[in-house]
Amino acid sequence: MKALIMRLFDCNISFGRPMIKPLRYSETARDLLKEMDYYGIDEAIVYHARQKDDSPDVGNRILLEEIRGFDRLHGTLAILPPQTGEITIENLIESLRSENVCAFRAFPSEHRYLMSRVSLKPLYGLMVERNIPLFISADESCCGISRWRLIEMILSEAPDLTLIVTDHGCWGEDRFFRPLIEKYEHLYLDISGYHMDGGISDFCRKYGADRLLFGTGYPHLNPGGTILMLMHADITSREREMIASGNLERILRRIKA
Amino acid sequence: MIKSSLLKEFIETGKCRSCPVIDMHQHMGPFQGIYLPNSSAEAMIRTMDRCGVKMGVFCSHAALIDPEENVKMVDVIEKYPNRFRAYWCINPNYPERIEDDLERFSRMRGFVGFKFLSDYHKYPITGANYKPALEYADENELLILMHTWGGSPYDSPAHVEKIAKKYHKVKILMGHSGFGEWEKSIQVARDYPNVYLELTAAVRVNGLIELMVKGAGSEKILFGTDLPWFDPHHGIGCILYSRITDEDRHNILHRNAERMLQPFL
Repeated sequence: MKALIMRLFDCNISFGRPMIKPLRYSETARDLLKEMDYYGIDEAIVYHARQKDDSPDVGNRILLEEIRGFDRLHGTLAILPPQTGEITIENLIESLRSENVCAFRAFPSEHRYLMSRVSLKPLYGLMVERNIPLFISADESCCGISRWRLIEMILSEAPDLTLIVTDHGCWGEDRFFRPLIEKYEHLYLDISGYHMDGGISDFCRKYGADRLLFGTGYPHLNPGGTILMLMHADITSREREMIASGNLERILRRIKA
Repeated sequence: MIKSSLLKEFIETGKCRSCPVIDMHQHMGPFQGIYLPNSSAEAMIRTMDRCGVKMGVFCSHAALIDPEENVKMVDVIEKYPNRFRAYWCINPNYPERIEDDLERFSRMRGFVGFKFLSDYHKYPITGANYKPALEYADENELLILMHTWGGSPYDSPAHVEKIAKKYHKVKILMGHSGFGEWEKSIQVARDYPNVYLELTAAVRVNGLIELMVKGAGSEKILFGTDLPWFDPHHGIGCILYSRITDEDRHNILHRNAERMLQPFL
């Protein structure tokens, strides 16, 4: 059966034991790989639940320890404003060089910081200069600014940032994100919440396929839905391959570690 | 990897000859807060053909808002009698119309029962304005698709239980399966023979299908998509990849609905 489906590179997976227990989850990286095998997912960009629920510094160290030696898993490091010295730019760069890490992730709701240029200017500069992608969930907020307004604020302050927005709501958000897609050329969306009938094909007809990335939202969402939906979306084989893995691989090739 | 002949066929062709899906929760037409690329009856049929969905039971978006729009669904059913059946929406905010609604309903063909959208109408399913429709549905053994949501002051699973205690012949479909209050929803579906879990939107929650099958049995679960909202392949994929048997998948995707719709075909 595997031969019938495309190579899947998942940009939105987390593992570890979250504070709020999901119905299913993978406690360790090894458990996660078994789950990925079950669904036929080849590779994944991952974060550990503790990176979000715990101190990001503690969580980053747990992630690095967990994924070491597993080539199919690529880590994302949680960021903080560098001013407190909890997570330094030097440490982030060192991890990018020496560990299996390929991107950063922001959790401003839980980690309580201003997701603005005032706080993050040196980090934004680093990410833009080295083409390091920043992942953020559409569910995030900071100081009363939430969802697509927050995404717009980030991009208005760092328009050249490679920003990958995950977990956008399933209840149809095209009216929010399409204007941002048109304005910011390095904005990408994962499809873990893009369940709207005809959404992916309509998007591809208007904007092409290179701004969408395969993501499942595991462990919270059932990966099977997104897999079958992408497999039979009314798009070309080339577009399907781009969304399934090609776009993400292209983004990662641009990184100057 | 999963060993399922159903999954294999769906992967290869996008549909499955031995598993003609029935979608028990559809709408139709444009709506307020969402851009829907495929909202016409014809576009929905194209999607249903692509995904192997044999029939859908819908309530138009317009009918959710204005009771006068209910009769317009007849045109769609008459045009596509093998593809659609419909729910007549009861809007409890116009109680003076409900008697007339029921009278008109009794004269129409192609309707399987009623749609209650209590969270949007901001009126509890246990309220007096729903009583005539509930009594009518119970007397005539109709279906009622209720929007249900965990924690709602209008249509939580506990509200459904109060209805189910009183009315035993109407078939109550818990739309969205009381989203979020999974244990309570499963208990209500297990304890009351006329209550069913409907999967729209809930289907995406990882591990939920297994929990429902274990707790209520696959005979009490119905497939739905909110089409033109959600791609049926998404919901079908969630069911196919869940850790249940192919018999369970058949029950959820079409057998339970076939039994339920038999009097209306």
